[in-house]
Amino acid sequence: MPELTLDRITKHFKNKIAVDNVSLCLKEGIYGFLGANGAGKTTLLRMICGVLKPTAGEIRYDGAEIGRLDGDYRCMLGYLPQDFGYYPDFSARRYLEYLAACKAIPRDLSRDKVQEMLRLTGLEADQRAKIKTFSGGMIRRLGIAQALLNDPEILILDEPTSGLDPKERIRFRNIISSLSKGRIIILSTHIVSDVEFIADKILLMKQGRIESQGAVGEITRDIEGRVWEYLADQEEALRMNDIFAVSNLKNEGEKVRLRIVSDACPREGAVPVHPGLEDVYLYHFEEVSEHVDNLERRAL
Amino acid sequence: MTSHIPKDDEWRFPLDERRKVQSLAVIRREALKKRIRHYPAFPEHIWNQLRFRPLDQWLTQGGVLIAAMLLALWLRRENTGSLNSVTACSVFLVFAGNICLNHAARLFSWHMAELEQTLYLNLKQLICIRMLEAGIADLIILALFLGITGHNNTMGIGVTLLYMLVPFLWSDTLYLHMLVHIRSTSYGFRSFALGLLCGILALFPVLWAPAYEPENLIIWQILAFAGLSVLIAEIYSILTKIERGDHICLN
Repeated sequence: MPELTLDRITKHFKNKIAVDNVSLCLKEGIYGFLGANGAGKTTLLRMICGVLKPTAGEIRYDGAEIGRLDGDYRCMLGYLPQDFGYYPDFSARRYLEYLAACKAIPRDLSRDKVQEMLRLTGLEADQRAKIKTFSGGMIRRLGIAQALLNDPEILILDEPTSGLDPKERIRFRNIISSLSKGRIIILSTHIVSDVEFIADKILLMKQGRIESQGAVGEITRDIEGRVWEYLADQEEALRMNDIFAVSNLKNEGEKVRLRIVSDACPREGAVPVHPGLEDVYLYHFEEVSEHVDNLERRAL
Repeated sequence: MTSHIPKDDEWRFPLDERRKVQSLAVIRREALKKRIRHYPAFPEHIWNQLRFRPLDQWLTQGGVLIAAMLLALWLRRENTGSLNSVTACSVFLVFAGNICLNHAARLFSWHMAELEQTLYLNLKQLICIRMLEAGIADLIILALFLGITGHNNTMGIGVTLLYMLVPFLWSDTLYLHMLVHIRSTSYGFRSFALGLLCGILALFPVLWAPAYEPENLIIWQILAFAGLSVLIAEIYSILTKIERGDHICLN
């Protein structure tokens, strides 16, 4: 089984820290990185892919440093960047054939593989159309197709569902679930529902650090007793929304049912309820952190 | 009681040869699919990059070559002197070189660099292969132009090379720098405009008549040396930036 080890990974952009001393051991399964914009998810993923070099620390695949494995490591890698690139004058098929060639997939196999991926992502009918004519969702699906082309042992998807409609999102989740056997799949997102049902392990990232990690049940257990519900009138609901982290607000006749994430009981009559992953997210990411992309730009 | 001990042959079931062949074919097909690790030979890499070069680049390149050859042949027929053919070819060489470079610099366009860096052939290797292809193409074109301008050429091969290579070197270096550093989604328009601009720069010696006087040869030599140094520095700078990675993510 593949094993990816991150050993005290740190990344600085000039004097700003984007990723701070992250150590992880990733084995077969789906890992969901959750965090606000600027938490350092993309920077960490870029380092795992070998696009960025860590300022300190080492990334190892089955004990060997990934820089040393070089092409052998990249052969096992499938990556969908947040800003997915494509040549607009290429057709979907030509684009996938080009990437198959760069991924060193034998030519006799690449044609079948390209067709298989086009079928899997529902782009078979549009394979001859130029990518510049594609919708945002189709381009995202093409991105997923290219990431899967080489049957990667490590699949890294950065914000894979942005631009997908709900039906496509569900379809994508099912594809990822079906692929998880024998692979390390890393999903980075700030959309909780993308990972809630399929991730074996959730990793919450905040200001470059792993704030919390574990299965959904374990993570939600950590904030047990900190999620409250109660019925308030309209005026009070608005007031409470300003004071507390409200994870849900639902009209029930004249009243409003509030779901509040708070260490202490927000008000007399509020009852503790079982927390969900969205509550956990809100608990950890109430404050908005700096955006790492801006940080990267400033550093250069 | 006697027991019958079967001979070796009797243990075997009769084989259906047709089904055996069919089964082996299925196994071979499946085994082929499992061949996920493939190390292409260098010529395969070269061919793979060439076959994905856009058609419009091939056509433009062909058009430039044909135009250059026709013009040089016309100048020769008109007996306008070898210098005219050399200067005309030097301008065409610049454009031909820029078209070759365009394919290499395309790797940095349309947000592709980050993705290409994670492929088996990473960005650094891809750029090296495409630069090598561009270099080979430039040499072939140069040889072709030398052949065309060789008739009644009194300047000598060294001087002719100098007059052709100096504008080419400086234009290529400038174009490469701009293509890699000024990246955007208006890639097609911008690269065309930049290519044209860098090509026009190569016209300067043509417009300044004393440039081709023998006493100014030393200036050409200095410019050639400086141009080569700047080109090497530019390529080194690109490769270093790719190695560090930070710059790739901002395209």
